[in-house]
Amino acid sequence: MAQKDLKAMSFEEYCRTVFDAKKIFEKPEAFKGYTAISTTQYILGPSCANYFAELGMETIKIELPRRGEPMRHTTPYNEPFLYPLSKQMPDKGTGLGFFGANHNEYFLAVDFHKPEGVEIVHRIQAKTDIQAENYRPGTFDRWGIGYRQAAKINPRLIYIWMGGFGGWGPGRVRASYDILGQAQGGTFSITGMPGPGQGHPAVGLPSKHTIWLADYWGGMMGCFAGLAALWWRDNISGTGEFIEYSQVHGATRIIEGTIPLFARYGVVAQRWGNWDRQLCVHGIVQCGKPSYPGSKIPLEAEPGQILISAPEDGDFAKLCQVIPNLKAVASKYAKYDDRVQPKAQSEIYTAMEEWAKDKTKEEVWQIMEKNEINSQPVWSNKECSQQEHFHLRDEMHWLDDPYFGDVLSQGLAYHLSDTPARHRWVFKPVGADNEYILQKYCGYGLDQIRELEKNDII
Amino acid sequence: MAEIKSSDIPVLPWPAVPLMTPDEVYKGLSEAAREYPNWLEANVHWRDVGKKPEKLSRLRILDVTMKSMGGHWCTSLFAEHGAEVIMVEPPGGDPTRRLTPFNRKEWMFKDNVTGEAMGANFLHECRNKFSMTLNLETAEGRELLKKLVVDADILVENYPPGQFDAWGIGYRQLSEINPRLVYGWIGQRGQWGPLKDRPWMYDPTGQNACGFTHGTGAPAAFGGRPTRSGMWVCDYVGGTCLANGIMAALNYRDRVSGRGQFVEATGAAGIMRIIDYNWGWQGMDGSIRPRFGNWDLAINIYAVNPCKDGQIMVGGGHDRLWYRIWKTVGKDRPELEQHIVEDPALKVVVDRLPFYAQVETYTTLSEWFKDNSRLEAETKLQAEEVASGGVTFADEVAEFPHFKYRGHVLQVDDLMYGKVVVSPPSQLAQKAPPRIKWLGRPTGFDNEEIYRKYFGFKKDEIDALKKKGTI
Repeated sequence: MAQKDLKAMSFEEYCRTVFDAKKIFEKPEAFKGYTAISTTQYILGPSCANYFAELGMETIKIELPRRGEPMRHTTPYNEPFLYPLSKQMPDKGTGLGFFGANHNEYFLAVDFHKPEGVEIVHRIQAKTDIQAENYRPGTFDRWGIGYRQAAKINPRLIYIWMGGFGGWGPGRVRASYDILGQAQGGTFSITGMPGPGQGHPAVGLPSKHTIWLADYWGGMMGCFAGLAALWWRDNISGTGEFIEYSQVHGATRIIEGTIPLFARYGVVAQRWGNWDRQLCVHGIVQCGKPSYPGSKIPLEAEPGQILISAPEDGDFAKLCQVIPNLKAVASKYAKYDDRVQPKAQSEIYTAMEEWAKDKTKEEVWQIMEKNEINSQPVWSNKECSQQEHFHLRDEMHWLDDPYFGDVLSQGLAYHLSDTPARHRWVFKPVGADNEYILQKYCGYGLDQIRELEKNDII
Repeated sequence: MAEIKSSDIPVLPWPAVPLMTPDEVYKGLSEAAREYPNWLEANVHWRDVGKKPEKLSRLRILDVTMKSMGGHWCTSLFAEHGAEVIMVEPPGGDPTRRLTPFNRKEWMFKDNVTGEAMGANFLHECRNKFSMTLNLETAEGRELLKKLVVDADILVENYPPGQFDAWGIGYRQLSEINPRLVYGWIGQRGQWGPLKDRPWMYDPTGQNACGFTHGTGAPAAFGGRPTRSGMWVCDYVGGTCLANGIMAALNYRDRVSGRGQFVEATGAAGIMRIIDYNWGWQGMDGSIRPRFGNWDLAINIYAVNPCKDGQIMVGGGHDRLWYRIWKTVGKDRPELEQHIVEDPALKVVVDRLPFYAQVETYTTLSEWFKDNSRLEAETKLQAEEVASGGVTFADEVAEFPHFKYRGHVLQVDDLMYGKVVVSPPSQLAQKAPPRIKWLGRPTGFDNEEIYRKYFGFKKDEIDALKKKGTI
């Protein structure tokens, strides 16, 4: 579209034009021609490499042959699977645990334990820009395919090791998973309903972020370090880099001012449920009525919740007009300083929940929207996936996957006007691209590949 | 500047327990086994960052965000990697500066020059940044911003959708002044589309909109309800997404196009991108992911459960770890080990996943936990190389020996804020690592310098702008 048209449009129209999801494949990719290796398992490392693949790097996921990495065998209630798992195991499927962290990648199966496997990895490393790895610290070094060996082959290689506690220090031998990162990093300690006797009507235990947050978000942090290293390499230094990311440390990075607050004043942050420590009104209100009273799904038959946000004095005054039950406390808590106190919060939210007792979350939402008060119902993933908004923005989409047919998949985490990220396929079976990768990166012919296959190298 | 030493600012002693020495850490290891950790320690240790270059020191970023943390978090990642980050705040400062839990002003941080109080959350994301003030509600202020944009690489803003565009300082206009500019917008649901953000929507709007809150917390049968994150997690995740988008745009600009671009990220989309398998499952058979408390739908054992002095995490889904966990339990309580390992319904990995199997597993495990503290259980389980660890609170995180040894919690002796323990950048690097150079600046602290340096203003011009309320 001509530049002139873009200038004349309304802002909304302009955004819809430059971020148009239908035009994504008409635009270039940010990292055309770059190559990434993903020697990873579970979520932390794979998701990091996955972000590279979304941005246009040819990303080669190297797994052990036949069964692939463990996350392929992880799925909720052990019910949903996508078939087949691999050429050798067509009657087994890949679990949905593998789903969010392996889009767009090429799948090569190599047994690193054998010298022929090491040779394959070396040949690929020689032509690679960036590698994500998350085996136990030192394992790849021992196998001869770690950073120290790879850097000799390819000094421009950026190598990101990601894992639990890092490869040095007293905890280096400890195994880790996402929730261990969350537990030891401190995110549990400030999430969930407060303990009894803290002036909060709901009582509960420290709670996990139900998603594998320390893994997926940790992958993003690794990705940032990797992209910064690429920029540094390509624009300034010309050399590769070794990066170490500890997910347990990552979790302490995200717990806000909790550490300085303790070390300066001895304050140990606690949980404050669905309300906010720093803003009021800015909390999730329990409604009395379910949105789908007849539903056979028990979750849907539960009464709903909605965030109501009116933290500034003017907003609160308006809210008091809308919610009659707040009139009694309106003047007492007209000022932010008073309103944010624990006791005040308890009184205010109790009054609001009393008002919401005979309403569904949609009814409350409608009232808030009408009065231009910020609010957002707590949506299940079903309600969320029905929003036109997210589909329009390509933040969620149906992918016509070459192997698995129609799948509903997460879309883009960010929008770039000129070089948007994109999703091509969700993932492929173990070793699906053996021939392509071995031919392109290792120079092997068909007979050689069949020989490797026969010897269980690939 | 007043002559105040950081030692004049009262702080609690940290570390309360001294750091471990390398000899203590690697005691009993052979030379060969010590070689790799020693190499790592020599190459990525925190103490050496000052000797090494910074990756992004050639970039200048204008952080024109306020009232939430997403933008500040995003620019923190750049500031840690060496970029010059200038916070462009309204006169009086970003209101987020003054937020402190429950308005407890005695928990704020004062600098030793102006004495302005800053909340702990803001201080944590103020690292390595400069602060200037500029009133964008005045035409003169917006003209000044345009001048600053001429030589900036990145601008990040979070104003209501279209606000900057209407003011004549949106991407459409600024990209004409500086075609190399990468312009980032961050919000909760977005600046366009049917659910676009209302003015000043904050986290946890995003948490609720993306299915996160609905799926977090204990099941109703366990007395739970949908639970939001204790942090403004959408701000942090969305901010990280924006930073990655900007980094991709910069790589493309400097290698290929020479042009910047418009980047948008939101908290809701950020979490939707990483919310496990929810969409695939939903699309496959209409499943709504249920709340499952501190357990996991897809792995057993992989959970946090109560023990004698709190809660403890244990994980080990596949057989090798499963039997090691029960072996550990069996050393104290053989009947519990026997109960589980002899149960035919729990023999196969996949059979352990249904709800009733998890209830049985964790009920039995908790029988053992109730006689063990977090440390006792952790020690016993780690002897069998099982991933485990207690749920720790701020005091324990700050004193965790591993963190202290590696500098994951670090006391910064800041010129202005004294000794403050913070969580430094979590990515360590061999050649050009991120770092903390200073903790932050009070509102508009760098006005004088920035207006001289980038605008060429003299003292009287700066004073006049101040008087008019433009800065």
